[in-house]
Amino acid sequence: MEEKLLKKWLQDDLSPEELLEFQALDGYKSLMKLNEGLKKFKAPEFDEPIVFEEISKTISDKAQVNKKINWLKPVLRTAALLAISFSVYYFTTNSDTHISTLSAEKTTIELPDHSVVSLNALTEISYNKRSWNKNRSLTLDGEAYFKVEKGSKFKVETPTGTITVLGTQFLVKNRNDIFEVVCYEGSVKVETDISTEILKPKERFLILGNKFVITKKEDAKEPAWIHNQSQFYSLPYKYVLEELERQYQVSIDTKNIDTTVLFTGHFVHNNLDLALKAITLPLNLDYSKEDSLIVLYAK
Amino acid sequence: MSKDLNDHICNEKLFEKLFKTHGKNLHDFLYYKFGSHLNPQDKVQEAFIKLWENCKKVTPSKAKSFLFTVANNLMLNEVAHQKVVLKHQEIKPKHATNETPQFILEENEYMEKLQKAISNLTEAQRIAFLLNRVEGKKHKEIAELLDISTKAVEKRIYGALKQLRKEIDGI
Repeated sequence: MEEKLLKKWLQDDLSPEELLEFQALDGYKSLMKLNEGLKKFKAPEFDEPIVFEEISKTISDKAQVNKKINWLKPVLRTAALLAISFSVYYFTTNSDTHISTLSAEKTTIELPDHSVVSLNALTEISYNKRSWNKNRSLTLDGEAYFKVEKGSKFKVETPTGTITVLGTQFLVKNRNDIFEVVCYEGSVKVETDISTEILKPKERFLILGNKFVITKKEDAKEPAWIHNQSQFYSLPYKYVLEELERQYQVSIDTKNIDTTVLFTGHFVHNNLDLALKAITLPLNLDYSKEDSLIVLYAK
Repeated sequence: MSKDLNDHICNEKLFEKLFKTHGKNLHDFLYYKFGSHLNPQDKVQEAFIKLWENCKKVTPSKAKSFLFTVANNLMLNEVAHQKVVLKHQEIKPKHATNETPQFILEENEYMEKLQKAISNLTEAQRIAFLLNRVEGKKHKEIAELLDISTKAVEKRIYGALKQLRKEIDGI
């Protein structure tokens, strides 16, 4: 009964009769005292206008700060994007293209004008893609065979000399102290410190050390290494060994062997034993093999 | 559930309306829940600023719960579960008083007792009870404010009254 009245009182829902009953309750007086006491715990006045004003002020302050930053961000973003795209553009178009082969590796590439270059082992060429159509010029270190499309002057620069052609097939070999150019078709102009020559088909230009030789022995239509062979005509033996080292990624120890003796012959690139026999038997030599180390000795 | 996509609170008029509806309620809620020493007014301010910053994400129907959650979290970040103490207004001694010093002394003792009893209530009880008794809010209003049923409000309020009377009058 009391609980019901109390609940109704809490809801402010007492009818006049119930109110009388309620007032007659035992604890009425102390309840009223409690109720009065509670009123003193009222939350401090919430000053709506002032609080709202402060909120508005903070918001507009922040909006201003945001506005200031707002235009800076897109500008910075665009600038960064431009910088990145420019550098990408610059590097892809202006820098030279480098192509190189490792030992025992050959590759064939096509230049922007559809000229074809075959690279022998341990060879590097570089050229500029962008200016290629205006200026057909590349640098070569190693040995490469060119099939040049007809067109403007085509230039191959090597540390030893420069080869200029107009559209032909030719081989350039530029190793330590060998400089060899073989013309297979058309005509080739070779310029070096020692001499300047114009080669006709099947002519071979060779500088060995400082000696300059020109021969007409080349009969093949393409360099032998295109078909996985290495061919030599009266070449000092040490160059033959160097070529073998490049093709098989081995090192050769020549004990008490005269490596200046001239060698004519060839070896294959896909069978080391066969290749070693091909270069040792004619000179009456023998070899022993241990991993990548090969020792040659006289029989 | 319907989504009022176009209707967001980034409109200043609407924002002001929301403030008028929820500002004081939020303040009172925070005060009765956490007491005065954490400055509920500041938290109300912060909560509304947060609401404005997120005005594009919060729909008007979600604004109330957003405000209450944010303000509550702001409080909880500060409160290290301290005992809630509500300040009662000082009883001003009347100049021409016919109350005896003994009466004033008893009155002060009573208020202290009441203060202690209030802080012994559970949080849920205290909020509902004081919103009802002090702010004069109807059960239904409190239920809406706290997102609970009127039945639960009634239970909390009555429970609080019962406990207070038990502590103070021993009934």
